[in-house]
Amino acid sequence: MSSSAPASVRTRLSLQGRGLAEAAVERARLTVVPRRRTRAPKVPFVTLVSLLMLVGVVGLLLFNTSMQQASFTTTALEERATNLAAREQALEMELDELRDPQRLAKLAQARFDMVPAAAPVFLYLDTGRTEGEAGGPGVPLDLTHDQPERPGVLDPPPIIEQVVSTAGQPDGRGDGESAAATGTNDRNQQPQRQRRQR
Amino acid sequence: MRSGFVLIAIVLSFFAARLVQLQGLDPEQYAEMAAAEGSVTVTLPAERGDILDRNGEPLADSADGLMVVADPAMTAAKAPELAKFLAHRLGVDYFRTLERLRVEDSRFQYIARQVPARVANEVLADARELAADAMEAAEKAKQDGDEEARDEHEAVADAYGGLATRRDPVRVYPVRDVAANLVGFLGTPNPDGSAKPSAGFEATFNTHLAGTDGEARYQAAAGNKLPLGDNTVVEAVDGQDLQTTIDRDLQFFTQRVIRQTVRQAGGDSGIAVVMDSRTGDVLALADDPTYDASRPQDYDEDAYKSRAMTDVYEPGSVQKVLTLSALIDAGKVTARTKLRVPGSLARQDRVIGDWFDHGLIKLTLAGVIAKSSNIGTVLAADKFQDGQLRDYLTRFGLGERTNIGVGGETAGLLPDPSVWTSQTQDRIAFGQSLSVNAVQMTAAVNTIANGGVRVDPSLILGSAVTEDGDEVGTDVATTRRVVSEDAAHQMTLMMERVLDPEDGVAPAAAVPGYRVAGKTGTAQRVGEDCGCYDGTFTVSFAGFAPADDPRFTIYVVVQNPRNGGGGGSVAGPAFSRLMGYALRRYAVPPTGTPASRLPVEW
Repeated sequence: MSSSAPASVRTRLSLQGRGLAEAAVERARLTVVPRRRTRAPKVPFVTLVSLLMLVGVVGLLLFNTSMQQASFTTTALEERATNLAAREQALEMELDELRDPQRLAKLAQARFDMVPAAAPVFLYLDTGRTEGEAGGPGVPLDLTHDQPERPGVLDPPPIIEQVVSTAGQPDGRGDGESAAATGTNDRNQQPQRQRRQR
Repeated sequence: MRSGFVLIAIVLSFFAARLVQLQGLDPEQYAEMAAAEGSVTVTLPAERGDILDRNGEPLADSADGLMVVADPAMTAAKAPELAKFLAHRLGVDYFRTLERLRVEDSRFQYIARQVPARVANEVLADARELAADAMEAAEKAKQDGDEEARDEHEAVADAYGGLATRRDPVRVYPVRDVAANLVGFLGTPNPDGSAKPSAGFEATFNTHLAGTDGEARYQAAAGNKLPLGDNTVVEAVDGQDLQTTIDRDLQFFTQRVIRQTVRQAGGDSGIAVVMDSRTGDVLALADDPTYDASRPQDYDEDAYKSRAMTDVYEPGSVQKVLTLSALIDAGKVTARTKLRVPGSLARQDRVIGDWFDHGLIKLTLAGVIAKSSNIGTVLAADKFQDGQLRDYLTRFGLGERTNIGVGGETAGLLPDPSVWTSQTQDRIAFGQSLSVNAVQMTAAVNTIANGGVRVDPSLILGSAVTEDGDEVGTDVATTRRVVSEDAAHQMTLMMERVLDPEDGVAPAAAVPGYRVAGKTGTAQRVGEDCGCYDGTFTVSFAGFAPADDPRFTIYVVVQNPRNGGGGGSVAGPAFSRLMGYALRRYAVPPTGTPASRLPVEW
């Protein structure tokens, strides 16, 4: 609008019209929308997240600690198990030694004068009859082990001395037997042992 | 400020260079070093299989053992005191231990090997206690200001603290010398810890018994395994048990009886075999002399083998059983065939005689067996066709290995057809000029006991594979018919006459109340020096009982009895004792049938 025609425009528009136009211009003018400051509560969220993290970390720590604790227990129990296994084996070995047939045979023959039977006799319990013959007296088992060959230094040949009997000369001891008859000069006498030939 | 930046840049460039070095040049080495920290590799040992008898009783057992080792750097100062302690507690040699505790420039010396775990742990615990006491005394001396005493006590503490244990499994032989000839023993382990078997089943079935070690690799800290660390486990494969057909108590009795027999007769050695007639299971295989498997070092190396399997000898008159049953099966003779037997028989360049002098006597075939007449046997064996006797003997199993799983077994010696002259045949007919091993002969005589069917002898129940790859055991034992049932029956009746008190040569072999069939043998032995018969004898007795339903076949051999006895007087009583024991142990009742009364003369 040029300034040369303001008088005509003003005169044409009525006051009312000018008020409406001014209001429209007012309305059409761009203004900033007033900002609405919405304050959402922050604290609970943060607390939640940190709580979760804390719980997780602590839980992990506890879990790990308990696992390590279990590992200690495992080692201790394994050691105990090994010790008990060793004890069990020692006892089993002892048991095997007690059940050794050589030991039992020696005990039976020495302490109880038992001998192996020559042949069995069967007793039928329903009829009471016996079958078989007992045979002669049993022969005891020879349970002495072979003696290892000893070297010559430890096993010298026996020294044999001929002793002349002086029977008839009373000895002052009173029992009447002559000393020569009871004693022997065979100092290196060794028990009769069968020499094992290889 | 600029200079500050330059300084920082220089420092950072050092870091960058180091980074390039660590990551760019050979990163694996560092990675390995890192991984090795705290990483533990442990061998999971395989337990060696047990050797059991037929009832599951252990003949060889494995036990956890430990070896005691010492660190000479710590123990040298107080070696005498420590050596005395060890010699007393572990039974080791004092002087050798003393030497070992003083070795220079060494941090590891063996003190005792294969100690049972319990004993070793006790000794170590006491040693630790003594070390702790010494440390306390050292502390006290330090407080008192006594430097000398303190050094003394610290040296003692060091010495006792220088002992440690390592795993060293022990092989235990609970019955010592019973079946030691078969079981063998383990020598000192190889440097890598694996077993070094030295004889017997331990050696022959080593792979079967040994198993495979495993390995566990894990991360550890302060001796405890980290639960979330790397963990690789290869499980150990334990060795398999080996179950033999041996009856442990019967083997014990057999060994004592044969030893007593050899002692009384003044013999060089002896063998006794007890076999189950029906199945061919070897219930006892005894050698004398033998050794104690738990202390093999006390015995000569010759004793480690099983003489029954490795040594050959000429069987003598027991062979007549095989010859004449073959003859009966071939249809040439029967038990009642009449023979005129002269006092001596001239054949080619040798004169054949009998063990007893006689003129012309009239014996039946039963009489030839009962009186053990060589001449009668030769006259009967003339009826064989060419090669027939050799065929039969091969079918009886002579001349080939029994393959029962004993190492070093000899196949025996049956002359080749190309060297089989008529004189050889004459001599083989009564058991000279051929060699057998004891189990071969037992299996051959057992053929008669088993109604003419030869059963392969077995020593292993089930089956097992030897080191050479052979599978042996009851599962793979075969049977084959050698002579007819009638021939075996006739021979049994003839063999019963051998134990007749009047007509037979071995009344001492009888078992009271039972019908027993048997045959004596007295064979000339070949001397090692001259290669000729040296005047010594192998006496034997083979038989089975009850005669009409045989359960056990027993064969007893004594080499060179110096008391002048023969098969009937030396081996016969041993046979009687063994058979009586076996029949009682297995509760075999007498059959109650009347004994054979075949005529021996006509």
